[in-house]
Amino acid sequence: MKKTINIPLGSQHISLLEPVRFKFECENEKIIGVDSDVGFVHRGVERACTTNFKYDGIGYVVARICGLCAITHSLSYTVAIEQLLGVEVSKKAKYLRILLLELDRIHSHMLCLSHTCENAGFEAMFMRIMGDRELIMEMQELLTGNRIQFDYISIGGVNRDVNLELAKKMLHTLEILKEKVLGYMDEFTNNWSLSLKFKGIGALSLDEAYQFNAIGPLARASGLKLDVRNEISYLPYKELGFMMQTHSDGDINARNIVRLNEILNSIEMCSNILLGIPEGEILTKSKGKPNGESLVRFEAPRGELMYYVKANGSAMLDRVRIKTPTFSCIPAFSHIFLGENYADAPAILASFDPCLSCTAK
Amino acid sequence: MFSSLFKAFTNIFKKPQTIDYPLTPIAKDKDYRGLIEYGEESCIYCLKCEKACPPGAILFVKTDNPSENEKNKKSLLYNYNPYLCIYCGECVRACPKPEEALWQSNKKPVVAIKSDDVNSGWFEIEKLHKN
Repeated sequence: MKKTINIPLGSQHISLLEPVRFKFECENEKIIGVDSDVGFVHRGVERACTTNFKYDGIGYVVARICGLCAITHSLSYTVAIEQLLGVEVSKKAKYLRILLLELDRIHSHMLCLSHTCENAGFEAMFMRIMGDRELIMEMQELLTGNRIQFDYISIGGVNRDVNLELAKKMLHTLEILKEKVLGYMDEFTNNWSLSLKFKGIGALSLDEAYQFNAIGPLARASGLKLDVRNEISYLPYKELGFMMQTHSDGDINARNIVRLNEILNSIEMCSNILLGIPEGEILTKSKGKPNGESLVRFEAPRGELMYYVKANGSAMLDRVRIKTPTFSCIPAFSHIFLGENYADAPAILASFDPCLSCTAK
Repeated sequence: MFSSLFKAFTNIFKKPQTIDYPLTPIAKDKDYRGLIEYGEESCIYCLKCEKACPPGAILFVKTDNPSENEKNKKSLLYNYNPYLCIYCGECVRACPKPEEALWQSNKKPVVAIKSDDVNSGWFEIEKLHKN
């Protein structure tokens, strides 16, 4: 007689934001086997990039892969094309690119934290974080003209400048936000509702993180010092006060703390940028058509995002390959579920901050 | 622990964060990226905006009743589909006479549903443009 039961989580589930299906094999409450399926929202973006759009419009196409990391997608693609065209981007444009990239990271992490709270049954905290997230959304709207689809990055620079008045307003808002994030830090470490649900649950050890190729906040929460921002040279992260945030526990609480620390670090970087924006042009005109191959990596809010672009000297590209962070983390996700209770599965899944829109693309 | 309880309690006396839409309108920034507007008198018909538009929301097609603009030698008519436009502003950046011939306003497009059939005429314009 079979001693296990199969319980699915998804593709539509009350605790899920996006369609992913995990099929759990459970022995009583304990999960002993996991099977996953991520291809529910496939839209054929890579194919569309090489058949329907010219190289200069693809930055706007790939931005629509995901609402939360739209800026990382368009920036990765644009940097890949800039490398093929040999365009030099001004220092001011680089600073403004980092500014929006970090604002995007802050609001993405806040969304994840609010949903982990919701899955722990702490609705009041969910409302509080989502309410405060509006501060960032408003800043993004003032900077780019839109809340979600920024369309801020162009080949050769950025589309809009920051004036003095806006910079002052943003600095003031960042200060308010910093106070609020320090308040969350207190809640996430001391509140019983959160720590009972999160401490010691869904742990991933450092060895396992290596073995299963974990990236992003998931890896950093296990103590793996892995951050693309520390490794790339095309954006001046080091001079803006970037500090890698790691934790040693590897459980849900550690992931939350890493995200909170990253928000604080991003706020500091944004303030540094706004206080010291260099003079210069925001857009350098580019000439010619791309030819050759280019590979670019960026740190999206969920981990490493990789773009491979192959061009043949015409306006249409040969290949656009996108490797998204959630896709790379799936082996680690599946491993973490093993040995946990089924009741904890939604909370664990929310702590991964999976982005299926990116993964299935 | 108790600080969050206290905060939750004080929230009862605070104003809601949401607004009373549609009674209170949503605040709109003057630099909000909205509809693209066109000034026919200043247009030099270089068609740069048409080439730059990523989704192809601006199309110039031949017409029998062309405007009196002397630059319009090929008898073209400007067509713009606000429901296809992604408001990126590439056309305005490509335009040699921005603010006069083509500019981005902060107006939002009128919301439409399927029965309004807002794209029906557009497919014919696309066919004309291909020919």
